[in-house]
Amino acid sequence: MTLLIQYTLIFASVLILVALGGCISEHSGVINLGLEGIMVIGALGGALVMKFFKTDSSFLMILLVVLAAIVMGMLFSALLGVACINFKADQTIIGTAMNMLSVAGATVFVKAINTAADPNDVSSTIQYNGPKKMFIERIGNFEFNWFMVITLVVLGLVCLFLYKTKYGLRLQACGEHPQAADSVGINVYKMRWMGVLMSGALGGLGGICYILAGVSEWKFETGVAGFGFLALAVMIFGQWKPYRIALVALLFGMFRALSNVYIGFDFLYNLKIPSSVYNMMPYIVSLIVLALSSKHSHAPKAEGIPYDKGQR
Amino acid sequence: MDTPYAIEMLNITKRFPGIIANDNITLRLKKGEIHALLGENGAGKSTLMSVLFGLYQPEEGIIKKDGKEVSIKNPNDANALGIGMVHQHFKLVECFTVLDNIILGVEDTKNGLLQKKEARKKVVALSEKYGLSIDPDALIEDITVGMQQRVEILKMLYRDNEILIFDEPTAVLTPQEIDELMKIMKNLASEGKSILFISHKLAEIMKVSDRCSVLRKGAYIGTLETAKTSIEELSAMMVGRNVNFHVEKQEKAPSDVVLDVENLCVKSETHNLDAVKNVSFKVRRGEIVCIAGIDGNGQKELIESITGLTNAHSGSIKMLGKDITREKIRKRNVMGMSHIPEDRHKHGLVLDYSLEDNLILERYFEPEFTNKAGFLKRKNIRKYADRLIEEYDIRSGQGAITIARSMSGGNQQKAIIAREIDKNPELLVAVQPTRGLDVGAIEYIHKHLVEQRDADKAVLMVSYELEEVMDVSDRILVLFEGEIVGEFDPKKTTEEELGLYMAGAKRDEVKA
Amino acid sequence: MKKLLKNDGVQTFLASLLCIILGMLIGYIVLLFINPAGAGKAIMDIMRNFFNFSNPLMQLKRFGNTVAKTMPLLLCSLSILFSYKVGLFNIGVAGQYCIGVCASLYAALAWHWNWFFCMTFAIVAGAFAGMLVGLLKSLFNVNEVISGIMLNWIILYFTNMTLNKVKEVASPYTLYIDQVNPGAFLPNAGLDKLFNNNQYITIAVPIALVVTIAVYVVLNKTKLGYELRATGLNAKAAKYCGMAEKKNMILSLVISGALAGLGASLLYQTGYMRWECTSASVPAMGFNGIATAFLGGLNPIGAIFSSYFIQHITDGGSYVDKSMYCSQISDLISSIIIYLCGFVFFMKYAFNKVLNKKKEPVNNANAKTDKGGEN
Repeated sequence: MTLLIQYTLIFASVLILVALGGCISEHSGVINLGLEGIMVIGALGGALVMKFFKTDSSFLMILLVVLAAIVMGMLFSALLGVACINFKADQTIIGTAMNMLSVAGATVFVKAINTAADPNDVSSTIQYNGPKKMFIERIGNFEFNWFMVITLVVLGLVCLFLYKTKYGLRLQACGEHPQAADSVGINVYKMRWMGVLMSGALGGLGGICYILAGVSEWKFETGVAGFGFLALAVMIFGQWKPYRIALVALLFGMFRALSNVYIGFDFLYNLKIPSSVYNMMPYIVSLIVLALSSKHSHAPKAEGIPYDKGQR
Repeated sequence: MDTPYAIEMLNITKRFPGIIANDNITLRLKKGEIHALLGENGAGKSTLMSVLFGLYQPEEGIIKKDGKEVSIKNPNDANALGIGMVHQHFKLVECFTVLDNIILGVEDTKNGLLQKKEARKKVVALSEKYGLSIDPDALIEDITVGMQQRVEILKMLYRDNEILIFDEPTAVLTPQEIDELMKIMKNLASEGKSILFISHKLAEIMKVSDRCSVLRKGAYIGTLETAKTSIEELSAMMVGRNVNFHVEKQEKAPSDVVLDVENLCVKSETHNLDAVKNVSFKVRRGEIVCIAGIDGNGQKELIESITGLTNAHSGSIKMLGKDITREKIRKRNVMGMSHIPEDRHKHGLVLDYSLEDNLILERYFEPEFTNKAGFLKRKNIRKYADRLIEEYDIRSGQGAITIARSMSGGNQQKAIIAREIDKNPELLVAVQPTRGLDVGAIEYIHKHLVEQRDADKAVLMVSYELEEVMDVSDRILVLFEGEIVGEFDPKKTTEEELGLYMAGAKRDEVKA
Repeated sequence: MKKLLKNDGVQTFLASLLCIILGMLIGYIVLLFINPAGAGKAIMDIMRNFFNFSNPLMQLKRFGNTVAKTMPLLLCSLSILFSYKVGLFNIGVAGQYCIGVCASLYAALAWHWNWFFCMTFAIVAGAFAGMLVGLLKSLFNVNEVISGIMLNWIILYFTNMTLNKVKEVASPYTLYIDQVNPGAFLPNAGLDKLFNNNQYITIAVPIALVVTIAVYVVLNKTKLGYELRATGLNAKAAKYCGMAEKKNMILSLVISGALAGLGASLLYQTGYMRWECTSASVPAMGFNGIATAFLGGLNPIGAIFSSYFIQHITDGGSYVDKSMYCSQISDLISSIIIYLCGFVFFMKYAFNKVLNKKKEPVNNANAKTDKGGEN
């Protein structure tokens, strides 16, 4: 049971981080379908730090890994910003391209590093068994992960940002009615860039959190298994509101955690349901949830529509 | 240097590809005056104001404020100079509160956090001073259009603007709301604000403004003292000739009922209440029935349920005696219903299709245009399109193969009219058929509507323009908050009387 | 000359070419970063693909392999563009392809059906998966990209689970069709002779080409195509004039899914590949279909060329020097190309702007007047 709670919390953390990223981006008016790719690149950044940086201070390690993931995520999200904000490209195509680009790019990159170190090593795997332990505090059976705290802090900060700061107000105005924002002198492009970069930061953070959730090595060819899109489903069901997103993420996190730990529950194990079914669960649940919650959506009104200063 | 002028726009020229929107225009706004800017649609009024507000940069000409030359590169510059604008389409974020909308862009912060206390005080004070009676915590989506306009005014006052631009502010208001707006404007002027007031409604201009400048087709025609001129003179200046707005039509007695609506209720798209409540009326052959009312009082939902775009949840709609309440759109079309939609870009046309493909949009499945195997008969389509282009005088660059997007608004509307009327309908539903068109196109469309009526068809029209309602219709139904509150004969009523009903100040028990 | 340059088709072609060149260039730069020594050779190896063999007969045979794999890619790309014409981005094509694999292999290996029924079953399975996306979209307004991705994962696990029953004992791969049920192979019909007896060249090639032409005809010459395109360009106008826009959406996704399912059958029933029952992601074929659809300018005929090109460099990737680079460099290049395809609209716009600069743009006057009128 502790194991279930532990996995639920950590997967929920991933979903919260990434969904908040999507939420900020959409509030600024840009649909970020590249979150999946941003997660991969963020994870890559963090994993590289863990591979190459040696320290005994877990604080320093956590700080650097988190920073690397954030920076890489932001850099990668700039691809979305340039294309969709400045060049008004189709946000769906660009998002899809970013997802493919991230996996192919990370694979090529990691393989190149591995092959350079050892010509016989053609894998796309990075190991981080040692540094991973620094993120975890054992409390009895429960493995406490520092990302749970980071997520809580981020959740608080995002709420504060969206509802209590002037940039939050302006950002939301750009997603709802960019012409209105423009008419009071707000630079819509700038605010949308801010939204995209912040979603890049949160997506990158979610990515590193995801690969640290269970295993101690990551094969970059596999990407992040649709988690970026699950996060978007969480965001839609959470109606673009941070605290609702957090609650929904817990629900989704639990279904994802079940596939990791169902063997530990005798009654579930005795049902003899193939593991594939548990793997499917989060996706099936999200489809059902989407079907129930998409009809009356509270999406920002201007999301997905490129802003053109000339059109008023 | 002392000058009586708050703003001087001197020799402004603004070109867009292929068109000169403002040709060497000079406009001087005195301090504390209400200055009207008069012109038809497309005369260049909005462009000129956009130049003043920093939305466009002029190719030639200079702008002076208090006698000093200034450069206005964007709305921020305009704001810094004390220039504010109420746009025709409000620039308000619907899901924000009134207060958030007012402070947006000029927020006070402390340690990075928003501080709204001072702002609220100032807003409440301003609201009282000018009699605007606004609740700062209401959501924009919950308040009336008239209130939303006051929020826009407060936005300018909150920014301490001295020069206030009103872009067609009365288009969305009831006559009573217009009166109140006039009062507010006079109030503002007497407090020393200078007001530029864009309109093409002559009566309002005569009522409220001190001076009036007239534009026509991008050119400056002249400036007059309102007190020393007449509606006729202004009208002639605006149009360039003396026009007769009145629609010519003969007396005609309506005959059989074509459309029979009974106790119709339709849910709103935006909230959970009914947008149309228990509405009943009939439309007969040989009459034009006009639904009057302020935008947003259920017209959209009423028309959508009649044409089949949404379903009514109770009540019935009968056409030619048959119940069509739940019929598909296609079925209604085939039965003889034609629909000229409110938004020609959104509903009326596939803008990236050619003109000919747009002309068969409702008939492509007929054997004339599609063979049994499902292939389109291109030759017949071309022949049909060429005939309509000829008969309805639709002008376009390359004839039948012109992409609809590249046609002018008037010709796009003509294409829709041709498509809908050539079907030879029993019932023609027209929603705001003249929106955004110039005088010539309006005359053309009114003529066709009356022709349909004379050919013994039933015509149901929705319009927000009282003048049009009075001119074209044989019978007027006023819709207020989803209910029919009055039925009138246009020859026996006045715009003022209609206004009272439109605003909900009066109502009759109507049995249509 | 100028008239030619103004032609939309020509512009699309030029833009696609530019995307390819830029994509290759960026790929080359990446190679330079990894190891400058072999970068030039590696990019040439990728472009040469089967020409890396010196023996012409061997070249021909390997060319056959690339052709065989182009067919499913072409079908996936048709699937994407068909739904895109209706305004839907069917990213679920990857899953629809996957369920096609599942259906055709299971029918072949477990039920011993002959090739035609296996193929039909794959088409039906793909169509069904497409229909799910369509139903979710039209009945519940679920974004088709997100539901498509969710279905991709569900289908992946379902396929792993199902094909697990027909896998070899010792490996995670499914059984060989020729050992269990050779009747499930698509007939060669003598076409293999054209490619130096390449057994993977089957009637899949003519089937794919005929389907391509059929898609072109349906979209451009028929009532159905007229309706679908109208729905894609302006769904509200389509509804207003009485087209059943929901039915059209579902129908187009059903057809789109059927195309993807057929694509799967056209590859897996040649025996070229077997399914790995521990697969951790859906086959990339579907996603590459997105690249080829856009690279081909969303034109079925263009898709033939773009599909071949992408498959050519994907196969070419296996010829790079493995001691320095990995074969995924091709995937990287194709994903860069998709990214650049997002800019095609802008490229055309910029291109037209340059073209129009030379003569005063008088013919725009009407359009602008209209806009001015509504300001």
